[in-house]
Parts: sequence; C-alpha cells; structure tokens
Amino acid sequence: MSEQDTPTDTPSVVATTSTVDASNSLAPAADERLLYRSIFQRLFIRPEVGAIIGIVGIWSFFWAVSETFGTVGQTFGWLDTASTVGIMAVAVSMLMIGGEFDLSSGAMTGAMGMLIIYLVKETGELGGRGFPLVIAIPLSLLVALGIGYLNGFVVERTGQPSFIITLGTFFALIGLKLGLAKRFVGQIQIGRTDEAADFDFFRLIFAAEWERNTHELEVRDALYIGFIVAGFAILTLAISELWFQRREEMQPVGLVMFLVGVGLGVGGLLGLHATDGTAANAALVAVMAIGGFLGLFGWATWRYEPSVDRGALSLDSLMRRRLGVGLTAIVLSSIVAIAIDSSSTNQIFFPFTTQGVRVILVLVLAGTGIGLIAMASQAALSVNAATKFVVTSVFALAIGIVALTVFVDSSDTKFRGSLFGVVLAAAVMVLVWAVTTFRFEERRTGSARADHLGVRLLALGSMLLFVGLAFRMLFITAEELAAGVPPAKTSVRLLWFILFTIVMMWVLARTRFGSWTFAVGGNKEAARQVGVPAARTKTQLFMLVSVAAWFVGLLVAFRINSIQANNGDGQEFIFIIAAVVGGTLLTGGYGTAFGGAIGACILSIPAIGISSARWNTDWRFLIVGVILLLAVVSNKFLRNKAEGIRR
Amino acid sequence: MSETPLLELDNISKFYGSITALTGVSTQVAAGEVTCVLGDNGAGKSTFIKILAGVHQQSEGTIRFNGEEVTFDSPRDALDTGIATVYQDLAMVPMMSVWRNFFLGSEPTTGIGPLKWIDTKKAKRIAKEEMAKMGIDIRDTEQSVGTLSGGERQSVAIARAGYFGAKILILDEPTSALGVRQSGVVLKRIVEARDQGLAVIFITHNPRHAYPVGNRFLILNRGRSLGSFHKSEITVDELTQKMSGGAELEALEHELQSSGATS
Repeated sequence: MSEQDTPTDTPSVVATTSTVDASNSLAPAADERLLYRSIFQRLFIRPEVGAIIGIVGIWSFFWAVSETFGTVGQTFGWLDTASTVGIMAVAVSMLMIGGEFDLSSGAMTGAMGMLIIYLVKETGELGGRGFPLVIAIPLSLLVALGIGYLNGFVVERTGQPSFIITLGTFFALIGLKLGLAKRFVGQIQIGRTDEAADFDFFRLIFAAEWERNTHELEVRDALYIGFIVAGFAILTLAISELWFQRREEMQPVGLVMFLVGVGLGVGGLLGLHATDGTAANAALVAVMAIGGFLGLFGWATWRYEPSVDRGALSLDSLMRRRLGVGLTAIVLSSIVAIAIDSSSTNQIFFPFTTQGVRVILVLVLAGTGIGLIAMASQAALSVNAATKFVVTSVFALAIGIVALTVFVDSSDTKFRGSLFGVVLAAAVMVLVWAVTTFRFEERRTGSARADHLGVRLLALGSMLLFVGLAFRMLFITAEELAAGVPPAKTSVRLLWFILFTIVMMWVLARTRFGSWTFAVGGNKEAARQVGVPAARTKTQLFMLVSVAAWFVGLLVAFRINSIQANNGDGQEFIFIIAAVVGGTLLTGGYGTAFGGAIGACILSIPAIGISSARWNTDWRFLIVGVILLLAVVSNKFLRNKAEGIRR
Repeated sequence: MSETPLLELDNISKFYGSITALTGVSTQVAAGEVTCVLGDNGAGKSTFIKILAGVHQQSEGTIRFNGEEVTFDSPRDALDTGIATVYQDLAMVPMMSVWRNFFLGSEPTTGIGPLKWIDTKKAKRIAKEEMAKMGIDIRDTEQSVGTLSGGERQSVAIARAGYFGAKILILDEPTSALGVRQSGVVLKRIVEARDQGLAVIFITHNPRHAYPVGNRFLILNRGRSLGSFHKSEITVDELTQKMSGGAELEALEHELQSSGATS
C-alpha cells in the first residue's frame, strides 16, 4: 500500500505552502527574514551588559567624589571583598539559572569555616582530636557536599519551592552554629585555625598575601604603558575587523603603511621612556599619535573595501535641531562651569550648596548635549557616509569641548590630569572613527572568518590590558616608594575568584552540565522529556553552591584565624542581588557566571567607596538598594531590547 | 499489507483506578506510513500516546515492536527503542539556542580523558544540516528557539527526532496551535518524514489535516476504538462523522443551517 497515497494526493494546504519553501531553498545563502546582526549587536544583548555599564558608572562615581578611591590600596580593598562574595555569587548565579534558590548559602560559609576550626582544635569537649588540616579539609568538603545534596534531594523529592526548603536549612545552620559554639567553647566566637600542625602549608594556598610595597620593579611603568597601549591598539584593530567589509584581495601598500605606523608608535613609546623634558615628550607623543593613525589607516587600506557611495551631506530638521540644541547645551555647561566659583566646598552630595548646583547644572547640561548629539549621529548612521562623517565629527568636537572645560576649570589634579586625558582620548577616538568609517565600507553581511579573527583579537587586547593593569597594581617603583605610597596588599583569594569565574563560565558555555543547567531552569519538563536528568542536575547545582560555600569558609578561616558564629548570615541576599545585578533572571533559564562576578564587584565597591569619601558607612545599604532597583529595571529594559532585536 | 508492521498494538486498555481511559484499542503502524489517531477531546488520545511514549504502562494488551513483545518502563526506554515523541508543548527550552535545543540531553562531546566538553562546532553544523534537510535554512543556530515560529519549532522537534534514530515518530496535535499556512508546513514535514522511511503516528482532532497525509486512521471515541481503517476504506466525510459521534453532529448541522437561513 503505497501507490495511491504518495504526495500526488496530498492536500491543497500542502500544495500552497510548498511555494513558500521553494523560495527558501532557492536562496539558501540569504534569508530575507533574518537581518544581519553585527557582533556588537550580539554582544550588546548579552545578560551581563547592564552590569558592565553599572560597574563603570559606580566606579567613576566614587572616583569622582572621594579623595583616595581608585588608588591601588583601595582597589585591592574592594577586590578582596568581591572575591569571597564573588565566588558565592558565581555559584548562586548558576543555581539561579537552574531555576532554584539557596537561602542557606550565606550561613553555610560561616558554618564551613567553623567546622574546619572545630576539626583542627585540640581543646574542648571534642575530645582533643586535633585533626591535621590535610584530613580536616576533605572531611569538611564531604559535609558541605552532604548539605548541598540534602537541599537538592528535599527540593526534588517534595517538589516544594527551594526558597522555603533552604530557608529551613538556613535556620537549622544558624541554630547549629550558635548552639555548638556555646556548647564546645562557651562563646560564639571560635578561633585559632593555626593550631593545626600543617597550617603554614595550607595558609599558602588559601591566604597567601602579596605586599605591594616590598615588590619593586623598575621597568614597571614601561611594561604598564607598553601593555596598555598595545592592548588598546589591538582592540582597535579587532573592532575594525568586526566592523568593516573585507576586501577580496589584500592591498600590500596598506600593510607597509601599517608596519611603518606600528614602528613609529613603538619608537615613540621607547623614546618617551628614554627621554625627559616637556618639549621632547610632546614631540614623541605627536610621533606616536601619527604612528597610531597611520597604523590604523594602513591596516584598513590593507584589508578593507573602500567606501564607494559616500553621498552628500543631508540633515533633516530633527537632526539639525538636535545638533543645535546639543551644542548649545554643551557650551552653556562650559559657561556655567567656568562662571560659578568651584572652590567653595567639596560636598557634592548636597544639591543646595553652590558647588552642588554647579555640579548638577554642568552634568545635566553636558549630559543632555552629548546625548542629543549622540542621538543625531545615531540617526545619521542610516543616511549616508558623508552625513555620518560630519555628524560624528561634531560629536567628537562636543566631547573635545567637554574635555577642555574639565581641563580649564578643574583645580583638582585628578580631574585635570586623568579625566581630561580620558575624555580627550574619547574625542580623538570618535574623530578617528568618523574618518575611517567615512573612508571604508561597513560590513552588512556575516563573515565567519572575520568574526573569528576579530573575536580572537578582542580577547588578546583585553588580556594585554589586564596584564598591564596587573603589573601596575602588583609592583611598585623606587620613585613611588620615596614618595611614600601607602602600603597595599592583596591575597591569593583574588586569584581563586578569577579562576573560579573562568572555569564556571566555561562550564556553562561548553559542557553538557552547563547546557542542562539552562535547560532545567528554562523548561524543566521539556528537559526531562528529552532525557536530561533534571533532578540530578539540580541537585548537583545545590552541591556546587555548598562547595563554593565550603571554599569561602576556608578562605575566611585562614584569613582571620577565628570565626564568629554569625559569620556569613544574611549574605545569601547579597549573593542573590549580585546574581540579579549581573543579569541572571530570578525565574531561571537566563544569566551568566561572569555577570555574577561583576555583580559582586559592584556590590563591593560602595563599602570601600563610602569610607574613602568619608561619608557615614550606613549609607551603603541605601546604595545597595538603589543599585538593585536600577539593575532590575535596566536589565528588564535591556532584555526587552534584546528580544526586540531577535524578533 | 504484506510485510510485518513495525509496531503492533493489540487490545490495549488503560484504567486509572475505577476510570477507564482506554479499552481494547488495536492498530498497526508500518514504516513509511502515516497512522493518524483521531478523536475528540477526552477520547483517550493522550493516554494512547503516553503508553507508546513510555510515560504510562498499559493495564491490558500487548505492544509488539518488529514482531517482538515490548514494555516501556520510562520515556528513555521508548526513546532507546526508537520511538520519539514530539509533544504538544514541543519539549523545548525557549530561551536556549536552536542547536542546544536540538542536541539537548544527547550533546556530542569531545575531550581529553575524563574531561569532556560539548563539541559545539559539530553540534552547530549538524543542527544546521538537519534543519536544511527539512527545508529550513537556519542562518544562525545561536538564535533562541523562542524566536522561531510555531511551524519552525515543530520542524526542529521533528528533525531532532529523525536525527537521533527514531523509527517511529509520534506527533501530538502538531497542528492544533498553528495557522493554516504553518499547519501546511508541518503536514509537509510529516510527508517528508514518511518518505524518509519513518513510521509516523499523527495525533489530531482535525480530520481535514489527517486525511490528506494519513494511510491508516484509528478513531477513538470515549476511550473506545471505533475502528482502524485504511485510507481506501473511508472518506474524509465519513471520518469526520465517525469522530464526532455521527448523528449528533448531523443534527447540529441541520440546526445551524436552519437558523442561518432564517436570520
């Protein structure tokens, strides 16, 4: 039985739709329903974008309002807090992606620290067991795994919300911590991890410290500047690679120009290191600038298609209005900044002082101006190359005016130097960008090869920046020592934090467990139907959180050598907030480990920032609350935008 | 039919306590054929699928696969035998990408020693190829499934079932939530799957969707089989009539027509 019901007598519905399919199969190379999304658009819709903007914002805020925030010592300070919070936030982010909560995670960090100390103690009613750490550490790990398994098991078996189950674990742990501490040592603080025989060895692993002031490196600044410049240069190349249309055939002239440019840049940099004196330095900076520009231009000439249809300048009335009002606002902000005396008081927080009014006026006017011009240049993108070039140049000019205002008006060297430099660099970059996008064709279609190279270059550039910063932060020069730079130290826990975050990012992105985590959080029933062991995955996630808590407990026990019974209680909400700030969805199925790490940094900055701004530290709760609200609103906004792009 | 059917159901019944969900249902499913299971709401279609998919076990009767008697203790069991079920809710995670959904639960891995990770390149390539075989060009397999249309999602689910070596494909009401055009696309996929040699069990309550693609029709009503017909034995009107309990619908039709005439 096959002849009479072959597709010949398939119905009319099928017949009509087959034409649709035919058009699909005719043009498999280009699907008209799918617009080209550049890699930047794809990066922009990642969950952690809001958090990255957030950390830049909050860092700049405290940098502006406090005297010492931003120094190496202060940075190590908030990174240190961020390390322990971050390890937990990354684990909690993963659990939340898997669609569950763990309210016992905070109390568990303290409990695990206490457990270690109990196990190594020789005194008290424990009977003087006095395990060495080499036994105590694996033993406590087993306990941690057990608690995590229990959480997961009960949640899975009862099918009740993990919120309520782990609330139970939370109180049970608090009770155990207090009760046992009182019973064994008669007080709520137990101490002396260092009673263990092999303490010194394990201290190196969990609490080794790095004193910056004892690590002198004379070539530090050269390395720092070298890495940073190289990093930025490579990032620029990466962005061009992702942005422009590749040529069919490479243009060797461009390569020569590129190499000459690189040579000039490197030469200028080396010269700058070797010489002193303002005039020579200025000349060498100019050489470097020329080298940089030549390098970029050469690279572009070598690889990318020159633009053909540049069109003529055409501004519609809306664009013209935005440019006009924007420029006026910026000029007004400069006038306000210069006209109102800035030397009155440092209290930026009070909007009623002269200083406050001035700051608010300047920020609002400059912000409005930059915003309007940015909107105009956004609109100009879709007109033609000439218009885009002109409007983007105006944008660069506006940023330049802001930079000059900062330079002319600030009394503070911090603003005069760093802020001026950064804003001016931004203006130059926008200008260079305007020129290159005018000269070369932007990419309108996907290119796997260009994306591949571009992404690799992006990673390399970021890594160079990171290494440069690491040199700057870890080493000191004789000059700085002589100037009496305050001591700064960091601990190995920062390394553990970075390592853990990277491993978990990899796990989420590349392993079956990671895929299943998203699946059980996104649609548990569906995951189960296609054969994902949903219950096991969730239980493993609970165990991951408890192992992270165990590790953080170890870090704390080794750091302060004694633990309060209430250590970590209440922190579980900080972990959850960090995850949410990092873009993880409360309902599961969406989020990243990296976002959780950034979220932890964002939450750790205010504590240090407030004290270095000499405000009352109680304000930090207000700031945490505001951050959370802002993050929830902006992440929702970004997500909607992301889905809008996708649809 | 000369060859032995791939799947044979003999007198299947299912009781939930005192409730009879299904009694004495028999039919057969052959490779390269579409067997349609038709019935109104509450006819026992869901129970029928769940027994085949291994979610529930039948209370009476036997299932023979390739002539051998089998029992399915779990969905995995049925899956391993080669029975893949595409549920109404599609068993997909909307916020995950197409390729991750395609391979969910059976990701291809590569690695060094015990350290294993997903071979993303291979997974993306295969997902793209398999979708292309279904006539759908997925440019970006990183696209999330939530952004696909209903018909495209059905196609992903069907392609996935086919790729993982299903011999029998069960489709649970694949057209019920779709528009006319998308239903057409899905029906076309059914025909394609059939032509690739799969046995398709197509559950629906719409005889107009079932008749054109089906070779054999099993009609259920209130847990009872009203018979299993070959296409040559029945017309689409008879099918509709049988499904809805015949006379009742005729009466209703008369009523509607007369009221339509007066107004």
